[in-house]
Amino acid sequence: MSLPMMKNYINGDWVDSNTATFGDVWNPAKGEKIAQVPYGTKEDVDAAVKAAKEAYWEWRTTPPLSRARYLFRLKDAFEENFEEIAEVLTTEQGKAIDESRGEVRRMIENVEHATGVTTLMCGYTLEDIAKDIDCYGHRQPMGVFAAIVPYNFPAMVAWWFLPYALVSGNTYIVKPSEQVPMTQTKIFEIMEEIGLPEGVVNMVHGAHDVVNGLLDHPDIEGISFVGASPTAKYIYQQCCATGKRVQALGGAKNIVAIMPDADIEQGMPSLTTSFFGCAGQRCLSGSVLVPVGDVADELVEKFVAASKDIKVGNGLDEQTFMGPVISAAHKQRVLDYIEKGVQEGAKLVLDGRDFKVEGYPEGFFVGPTIFDNVTPDMTIASEEIFGPVVSIVRAKNLDEVISLVNTRNYANASCIYTSSGATAREFKYRVKPSMVGINIGIAAPMSFFPFGGAGNSMFGDTKGHGQEIFNFFTDTKVVIERWF
Amino acid sequence: MPLISFGSILSFAEALEKQDEAFYAAAAANPAFAELKDLFDQFLKDTRKNIKNVQRTRRENVTEMILEPIKDFTRAPFCEEIDPAKAKTSAEILDAARCLEKKTERYYTEASVKIKALSEVSRALKMIGKKHTAHLKKLDTL
Repeated sequence: MSLPMMKNYINGDWVDSNTATFGDVWNPAKGEKIAQVPYGTKEDVDAAVKAAKEAYWEWRTTPPLSRARYLFRLKDAFEENFEEIAEVLTTEQGKAIDESRGEVRRMIENVEHATGVTTLMCGYTLEDIAKDIDCYGHRQPMGVFAAIVPYNFPAMVAWWFLPYALVSGNTYIVKPSEQVPMTQTKIFEIMEEIGLPEGVVNMVHGAHDVVNGLLDHPDIEGISFVGASPTAKYIYQQCCATGKRVQALGGAKNIVAIMPDADIEQGMPSLTTSFFGCAGQRCLSGSVLVPVGDVADELVEKFVAASKDIKVGNGLDEQTFMGPVISAAHKQRVLDYIEKGVQEGAKLVLDGRDFKVEGYPEGFFVGPTIFDNVTPDMTIASEEIFGPVVSIVRAKNLDEVISLVNTRNYANASCIYTSSGATAREFKYRVKPSMVGINIGIAAPMSFFPFGGAGNSMFGDTKGHGQEIFNFFTDTKVVIERWF
Repeated sequence: MPLISFGSILSFAEALEKQDEAFYAAAAANPAFAELKDLFDQFLKDTRKNIKNVQRTRRENVTEMILEPIKDFTRAPFCEEIDPAKAKTSAEILDAARCLEKKTERYYTEASVKIKALSEVSRALKMIGKKHTAHLKKLDTL
């Protein structure tokens, strides 16, 4: 039986790529191929950019409120197809169906937030900056923008950027992850219903050639990227070299600290969600668990017990809490990190290797895995694993925690569980990561706040969504005016 | 089967409401209970609204960052089948309706406590539960 082939969406049409190279799309719970994706070419990118460029001026001169109305229609279309999007997402990505629902919800929230364009995009004015001279700052769209997005959130991440770019008058190109192209394809099929002008949004499937085609293209004004830090840095450097705006969000090694005064019972469900939700494949996942002082033994015992209870399985089963990891190759990478932890002398207190899920012998499953007695210099305490592996590093006090947080190679998110306001304040004040959770295990800013880290977790200066995203997608033109 | 997630709780609520829908549709269509047709039609309408509310809650009130596992909650106590075809008299169909409403009301009461971490969901479930309480009160007046 032939597998469905993904198509590019260019200038309002579904078109075949001109490539001769294709990749497989997998159902990671079943370990079976479900579709094929073209590894697009520079010519595919050129066609998409040409369409987006030609559509730009008419779209740019469409009043912002009219542009917002497309988004209102889009929100309704997404709501109508909500469960269907979530099911496609779980099928190709593996995450639990509730996680997919949560992701689709967040995607829609960005559409909702972007509809506030008529206030969010306003410029500013000041009369009499000099005698009889007034000054205006207008936010103007700039042209064609593009997003290169990762496999872990196939629906949501492109939509941290796309609705804001569109509503502020730009045209757009999305390159989905080649590992999960079906979700964004589904979304674009739904988007067709709302009647956007041809060329305003486009999608090109592919891998390196499409990425480089976008980065090198002279007619693209800016790139939004989310993925691993080395790639984020590369994207940033290439965009700087070609004079593009860039926001490149990278990886993470997030620390979750548990103070002796924390309410462990209340916090435990959110701790397991933090470390094992999305099988640890989110940039906000907890990765290093740091019990402070004499809470350690009790915490480890309870955390291990709660982790053993996690139901791992096919994400489409409503009983599943944790699905598989994305691919066989990624599973092996996670297993290699576990092996490394054992070799470096950490104590493996819950072993997720050789994890079997009944009925899914070929699935890419790794069970919840916990190391105790990890030291800060160990590989598993330093590198991003992106899997359901927890490294427990015991700390004596808050200063040690903060030092640990601020000496990781990343600065995406960090969390603390405490019942002390003073401790929480000290933590949030001194840690470097830009997203901080207090008695929250996943510090995920919603669409109306900025999303992004610091240090090696973020290259560029404007983060995803929030109010400042309009700065990324517009140029403030200052007009200084005098009449004789 | 356990109810250990946001989705499973809402999906089971939808399943219960669909059972109610089928029950009231059958009861309203049965000429033996003609004098209760208006009541069952109204309950049928209410049930369909409830289904929409449950679906909307599942869609709109999912908060990805606090999708926490739920413990010690299962379908079993709410799986009793109540078949309107077994009722031969008005008194019997009303008794069956009471059983149905009690079961559904009890589910919403317990589910709203289990899912309290998602307070909007908890509130939505309580609200739908109150609709079933109102049905019960109405049935008790007959």
